Amino acid sequence: MAGVWRVRRQRTRLALLLWCFLAPSLAIFLLYRVIPVIWNLVLSFQYWSPLKPAEPAGLDHYEDLLYDDVFWQALWNTLIVIASAPIGIVLALVLALLVNAEIRGRDAYRTIIFTSYPLMTVAVAIIWRWMFDERVGLLNYAARSLHLIDTPIPFLNSFTWALPCVIVANIWQMLGFYMIILLTGLQNIPHELHEAAAIDGASAAGRFRRITLPLLRPSIFLAFVIGMLNSVTSFDLVYVMTGGGPGRATEILVTYIYKLGFNQTKFDDAAAVTVVFFVLLVATTWGANRFAGGEAGAAETE
Amino acid sequence: MKRRTVVKGALAGTGMLAAPAYLRAQSAKKLSVLTWNIADQAELFKVEFGEFKAAHPGVEIEWLDKKGPDLPAFYQTQIVAGTPPDIVDIQGALWVEYAANGGLVDLTPYLQKEPDVAKRFNPDYLNGWVYKGKTYLLPFYVAKTLLYCNKTMFKEAGLAGPPQSFDELIGFSDKMAKGEKTGFLTLNFDWLYWPLFKMNGVELLSPDGKKAAFNTQATAELLARFAKSTASGGINKIAWTGRWVEPNGAFASGTVGMLHAHSASYFFVKGQGPWINADTLGAAQLPGFWSTPTNHGFAISKGSKNPDLAWEFIKFMTSDKSASAFFKTRSVLTANVAADKEGLASLQKTEPLAAAVLQTQIEHTDKLTGNWPLPYDAGLKDAFWPEIQNAVLGRKEPKQALADAERAVNRLLARKA
Repeated sequence: MAGVWRVRRQRTRLALLLWCFLAPSLAIFLLYRVIPVIWNLVLSFQYWSPLKPAEPAGLDHYEDLLYDDVFWQALWNTLIVIASAPIGIVLALVLALLVNAEIRGRDAYRTIIFTSYPLMTVAVAIIWRWMFDERVGLLNYAARSLHLIDTPIPFLNSFTWALPCVIVANIWQMLGFYMIILLTGLQNIPHELHEAAAIDGASAAGRFRRITLPLLRPSIFLAFVIGMLNSVTSFDLVYVMTGGGPGRATEILVTYIYKLGFNQTKFDDAAAVTVVFFVLLVATTWGANRFAGGEAGAAETE
Repeated sequence: MKRRTVVKGALAGTGMLAAPAYLRAQSAKKLSVLTWNIADQAELFKVEFGEFKAAHPGVEIEWLDKKGPDLPAFYQTQIVAGTPPDIVDIQGALWVEYAANGGLVDLTPYLQKEPDVAKRFNPDYLNGWVYKGKTYLLPFYVAKTLLYCNKTMFKEAGLAGPPQSFDELIGFSDKMAKGEKTGFLTLNFDWLYWPLFKMNGVELLSPDGKKAAFNTQATAELLARFAKSTASGGINKIAWTGRWVEPNGAFASGTVGMLHAHSASYFFVKGQGPWINADTLGAAQLPGFWSTPTNHGFAISKGSKNPDLAWEFIKFMTSDKSASAFFKTRSVLTANVAADKEGLASLQKTEPLAAAVLQTQIEHTDKLTGNWPLPYDAGLKDAFWPEIQNAVLGRKEPKQALADAERAVNRLLARKA
């Protein structure tokens, strides 16, 4: 009996200790994540502005979204940005395979490719804004020097080019991150599998398709989810490069939320868009997890 | 214990207890001032704040400056936190929403009590701060749109002077378009393009402000003309897509014949365009003399603990002396008639081209447009402008774009009704 009590006491102490360690993180998570999410949800069902007390709004803000052309444009652009993530992942996979091979100076290449990721997004946006500039941009200069174009292309002022340009800048920044994740995944694949397959006569392409890709699934999922979240919440990149323009050509949900809130003082409408955005991200992440086999990212506890 | 020691102790105790009350009294005389993107005026403000403090002993001034896009967000968070700055410098039409929702102090009683204060200002600029018969701001510095002309390109195209009608404006633009050269650019934020519509008789809203009034055959034809001229290079596409740097930068490059922009553009363009001098740049009114203002004004937050003192402060900052000093350091008009007159006379001697540009800003101020006192101005812009862009850039038929804009604007108006 005494032994049982002792074990129980030990467990209680251990649980208490664990909660003590977790408490600061949980408090911060509660304060900066859970409460704002709940408050945002409540706000989306109210009429509210900094200068007015809240009043119940029911589903009015959600109904407004149905007729809001800008919202649909921003949602569409956000989906395009999400859909562009695989392009970056494919490029990163190619790079990861290259720097995983036995080539001279591969560590230097890895470092160079990764350098774009830790850069401040605002700095990345400014760099690419200049690269795409109509008058003094490097791309226009090169294209004109090579006689590819007669008149400069107003990349960031063009309804056609602006969003692809933002996506290019975003992929460029995320490429290093994707590469590191995929490289780690590649290095965790046992060599024996490749050797055995090679002995059995499997071609390089076959080995890549049958061994590398399936075993890279968790890494691809991780790269996709984090990259996707990073991209669609990349407010600073869009804001600095184009401000959402021209027109609404590069408006994504996160920039629209900001404009609704702080430019138009429609925090209640912004809250409704935020809820939709949240649901979209959860759905996309769930879909990606299913695609990756359903258990991607799960930690083994035993 | 000696009696003296007891008395000393009692005095010391009283002093300690009284100290917080004294400090509270001091902090009650603190004024916080939020300005918009004029951190470069620190030297002048230091002197002026010093003078104000000398005239009002015990007053402390806390000055904070925010960059353009940051100020509204910052101000709103301060309102929510219950600590709005006593005085805020507001630009454009943002103030109307704050005023309509009771966030700003009505300055009308102060102006009625001290009628000489109102007399300082150009009445058209002062009236730009009136909502429902009440004045909420005093002018700090002002600007409105004008037409900059690249005289060299005018000469090359055989044009004698600025256009005198809308037809000439489009005709001149088309005539100057050649290769990389284009004829016309306009800034498009804050309704700065609206004079182009107004001069063609387009009204944004019905007289009661409850419905869109712009969806007419005449507007569709106007948009079609813009689209045609844009497609042919007469109007530079940046007019409809750029914001500030792009259109001003394009004009500064010397390849655009006309720029429709406010006076603030002059200094940007001058800084980037080595070709610019009195022989090559002209400043004129747009045909019809319509223009859109982009003014800055001082308002007092409703949450101010010292509204009377804040009034004294904005009165001081817009006085003849302070306005003159501001004109001199920043070369901007202040709407203070005496200060602007003196400043322009002085500028005429040192920088005649800048003086010519600024002179346009005090002319025809009775024809200001695009400055409707609407509390939902930002939403209105967002409902209207993207469709106009679609039409002038040839992405939508003008009639379809106008119908879509009308639907969006009417929906907004119905929601706000």
